[in-house]
Amino acid sequence: MVKLGVAVVTFTTVLAMLPRPALGQARTAAELVGACSACHGEDGNSRLENVPSLAGQPEFFLLNQLVLMRDGVRTIPVMAALVRGLTDADIQTIASHFAAHDPRASSEPTDDALATRGRALAVTLRCGSCHLPSLEGRQQIPRLAKQRIDYLTRALKDYRDGTRAGADTLMNNAVAGLSDADLTALAHYATSPEP
Amino acid sequence: MVMGPRGTVFMGTRQLGRVYAIVYRGGTREAKVLLQGLTQPNGLVMKDGSLYVLAINRVLRYDDIENRLDNPGMPVDLTQTFNLPTEVHHNWKYAAFGPDGKLYVQIGANCNICEVNPGVHGHIRRYNLDGTGMEIVARGVRNTVGFDWHPVTGELWFNDNGRDWLGNDGPQDELNRVARGQEGAFYGFPYCHAGGIPDPDIRRPQPCAGVVMPAALTGPHSAGLGLRFYTGSMFPPSYRNVAFIARHGSWNREQKFGFDVVVARINGGEAKIEPFLAGLLDPRTNAFYGRPSYVLPLEDGSLLVSDEMNGAIYRITYSASEAGR
Repeated sequence: MVKLGVAVVTFTTVLAMLPRPALGQARTAAELVGACSACHGEDGNSRLENVPSLAGQPEFFLLNQLVLMRDGVRTIPVMAALVRGLTDADIQTIASHFAAHDPRASSEPTDDALATRGRALAVTLRCGSCHLPSLEGRQQIPRLAKQRIDYLTRALKDYRDGTRAGADTLMNNAVAGLSDADLTALAHYATSPEP
Repeated sequence: MVMGPRGTVFMGTRQLGRVYAIVYRGGTREAKVLLQGLTQPNGLVMKDGSLYVLAINRVLRYDDIENRLDNPGMPVDLTQTFNLPTEVHHNWKYAAFGPDGKLYVQIGANCNICEVNPGVHGHIRRYNLDGTGMEIVARGVRNTVGFDWHPVTGELWFNDNGRDWLGNDGPQDELNRVARGQEGAFYGFPYCHAGGIPDPDIRRPQPCAGVVMPAALTGPHSAGLGLRFYTGSMFPPSYRNVAFIARHGSWNREQKFGFDVVVARINGGEAKIEPFLAGLLDPRTNAFYGRPSYVLPLEDGSLLVSDEMNGAIYRITYSASEAGR
């Protein structure tokens, strides 16, 4: 083992993520964010069925997803036209904007019995291992806390059914074989994970 | 992560669909986006000035790449000849050229635990440069994302990540050796794990019969990814010919494990694991601050370590004159 005091270990950060190219035709932050807000909510808290909330998502996660969508790696038909032509700088602006907003639970009714069942499942499935025990997410891992129940349920089903893979297939593994009721319970828990 | 003969570091990604080129010119370091829009272009290999890029469903070759960093142009598309499976599960690529000049690449099991078609999934295979002549080199491999050849014996060593959902303590991940003349040997997946643990879900009579046992166990759910042997002279002599292993860290266990770089000291067909880079995991709070993914020894003897979580590459150097201060 290299121990400090026995040897000198030099750590240099060589690569920071996302080198930013020069701006093309710059769009203002208000223009960029306005297009997102129409569906995702002005404050990033979605009020539309099956549309995810972006408020309080880790900035790194938002950056990744926008790049993946723009470059055609993650295909979401309704997003395709909106992300086309975004520069890296635009993406940075959007990501910083929504990451800085406070997340709020949606007005969907939560079922306490389902949430209790979801809490037990979340422990067994080790959700907090990557998403953090608070389910707030970190770096490239999304926030689940206060996300919309309908969106989360659908996303979980897509992972279980293999129609969505994510950046790696760990999510497919984590929810393999769960019932619809299990996935719904997880979503009810995630929206308000306070113990 | 590979380095070209002229010193460019090429960095693949599993998240972002990009390949970066990192160049050092006139005292400044620049990281530029070389390629984008690929599906997990994690497997990068250099050969004769060409960069081979292996994504989940594509094999591309960019010739004379270090002279064309600003405009790599259209690649030679080898996808059809390589004919890799298109499933995403456990299929992000690692690839390397062996001492026999062939291109080695892994195909993971397309599940956590299941029967696989052994001709398609769960193995390491090798090809001629043009994608012809496919042969399977190691069978029964669940998911390896790192292998290298021992500098002295020339034998292939590889990591294999054990299955999930059998508890906190196992089955442990494996470090394996393909002994000379044993190409095509069977390493146990899905019937037999971690040196003799029969799988409770996928059963067969005598589950561990004919299975090559691991050279070392590398910890429960530790997720050993990159593996490279060290032949440099910057580190103390005791590091010569050891293998460095980047452990991405566990998710499928309560008390986290890994999140470090370890050294495997090899003795014949066995290996001993010891710590090298630690401190990214705080066992008291069960929190982690980085996820090492790959290790790349450089010609000067220093070691690059990539960290997927922070999107960073670290360089580790050693100075004998400063040691002991």
